[in-house]
Amino acid sequence: MTKPVVIVVGADKGGVGKTTVSRTLLDYFSANNVPTRAFDTESPRGTLKRFHPDITEIVDMTTTSDQMKIFDTLNSSSPSVTVIDVRAGLLSPALASLRDIGFLDAAKSGQITFAVFHILGPSIASLDEIAETANFMQGAKYFLVKNFINNTSFFEWDQATYNSYFHRIKDATELTIPKLNEMAYEQVEVASVPFLKFVANKGVRDEAANYSFVLRGYVRHWLANVWSEFDRIKLTDLVGSGKLGDRGEK
Amino acid sequence: MPHTPVYIVCSPRPLVGKTMMARLMSEFLLLKQGAVAAFDINLKEPSLLEYLPAITETAEVDDTFGKMALMDRLIVNDGIAKVIDLGFHAFDEFFKMSDEIGFMKEAARRGVAPVILFVADTDRASARGFAMLQQQIPATAIVVVDNEFVLRGELPPAMAGGRILRIGALPVFLKTYISRLKFSFTDYLRHEKDSSTELHQWIRRNYTSFRELELSLLLQRS
Repeated sequence: MTKPVVIVVGADKGGVGKTTVSRTLLDYFSANNVPTRAFDTESPRGTLKRFHPDITEIVDMTTTSDQMKIFDTLNSSSPSVTVIDVRAGLLSPALASLRDIGFLDAAKSGQITFAVFHILGPSIASLDEIAETANFMQGAKYFLVKNFINNTSFFEWDQATYNSYFHRIKDATELTIPKLNEMAYEQVEVASVPFLKFVANKGVRDEAANYSFVLRGYVRHWLANVWSEFDRIKLTDLVGSGKLGDRGEK
Repeated sequence: MPHTPVYIVCSPRPLVGKTMMARLMSEFLLLKQGAVAAFDINLKEPSLLEYLPAITETAEVDDTFGKMALMDRLIVNDGIAKVIDLGFHAFDEFFKMSDEIGFMKEAARRGVAPVILFVADTDRASARGFAMLQQQIPATAIVVVDNEFVLRGELPPAMAGGRILRIGALPVFLKTYISRLKFSFTDYLRHEKDSSTELHQWIRRNYTSFRELELSLLLQRS
C-alpha cells in the first residue's frame, strides 16, 4: 500500500498568500496525475473549497471529530496525498495538535510522509515562527516559502538574521513564489476556477469560457515558474517515493 | 479558414521609417482586401493615426488594460489583416509581454499569422533588439526591412541572413511630399496619369514587394 502523504500549508498571519500556494499545489498534483484530497480549515468560509470544490472539504481542526475525519482516514483512503490549508496564525497550534495525537511520531518513524509549507510574511515575526515550527519538524520536510504574489518585500529581514533562523531547521528548503500580474490574479478570483482551468479557458463546469488571452498567458507563465520550483524540490518524488522517514525505519 | 496576418512594424530606434512602412502596408492591404485594422502605439513620433484616421486606433502596452485591449484583438482570426505601428519606446515591453503570454504559439493555434517587419539600422540598440527577436520569434516570421533612406549602405551581417524587404530611397523633395498628412499612396496611383514618375514607380515596387511577401508566407504555411 502507498505510504500516505500529508502536506500542511500554513502561515503566521493572514494575507501572505497561503491559500494561493495551496491552490498551486493542487493544480500541480492534478497536472501530474497524483490523486489528492484537500482540507480547508477556514471554517465556515472555505476559500480553498471555492476553487477546488470536488476535492476539498471544510473542517475545523480544533474539533476532535474533524481531526478524526482527516487523520483516521489517512491509511485507508485513496487519494494518498492530503493537503491541509491551515488557518492563518494557527500553524504552530496545528502542529502541536499533530504532536499530541502521535502524528509527528508516525511521520518520524516513516509511516507517513509529512511536509510543511510555511508561507513567510515580511515581518520579523515570521522568523520567530520558523524557530517555533522547528521544534515540530523532526522527520518532516520543511519548506520555507517566500511569496511575492502580493508584491511583498522582505526588506525587513537582515540577511544574516534570516540565515541564522533558516539554518536551525535541518533540511529546510527555500522556495520562491513569483509575483503574478494583479489583474490576472483578480480575474481568476472572479472566475472561481483553479489556475489550470483558467489557463485552459474553462469555466467551473468545464464549459468553454472567454477569459482574456493576455491574462491567461500571464497565469500560464507564472504557474510554469511556480511549478518549476516544485520540480526543483522534487515534489512528485516526495509524494511518490516516500523516502522521508526511511531514516527512522532503518 | 485562411490565416489572418498581423504585421508588426517595429524597431527599437526612432525615426527609421516605421510609420511610413506601416502606412504603405496598411494602404496596400486596404486596396487588396478592402479592410484592414491598424494600431498606433506611438508616443513621441509622427503617428499613423494622423495619416490614416479612418482605419487606425491608438493602443498602448504600458499597463495591463492596454495590453488586453490590443492583444485580445490581435489574436482573433477574423480575416481582417492587422498592422501595428510599434513605437520605439514600446519595443521592449511589447515583445517581453508577447513572450510571456505565448503570443506566437497561441496565434499559430488560432490561425493568426504574425509577421515582424523589423526596420533595420546599424546601431547597437537595433542589433540587440534584432538578436532578442531571433531568440523569441521563428525565423520564418521575421522580415528585415532595409529602408535605403536610413541605412544608406549594406545591412548589418546579422540581419542579412533571412527574409529582406527593400524600400528604395526617395529624393528628399519626394519624401517631404509623401510626408504630408493628406497624402495617400493608393490615391496617387489612381490619380497620377503619368505612371513613369519616380514616385509612381516607387509605390508600385513596394506594393509588388508586399504581394510577393504575402505569397511567400502563404506558400510557407501550406
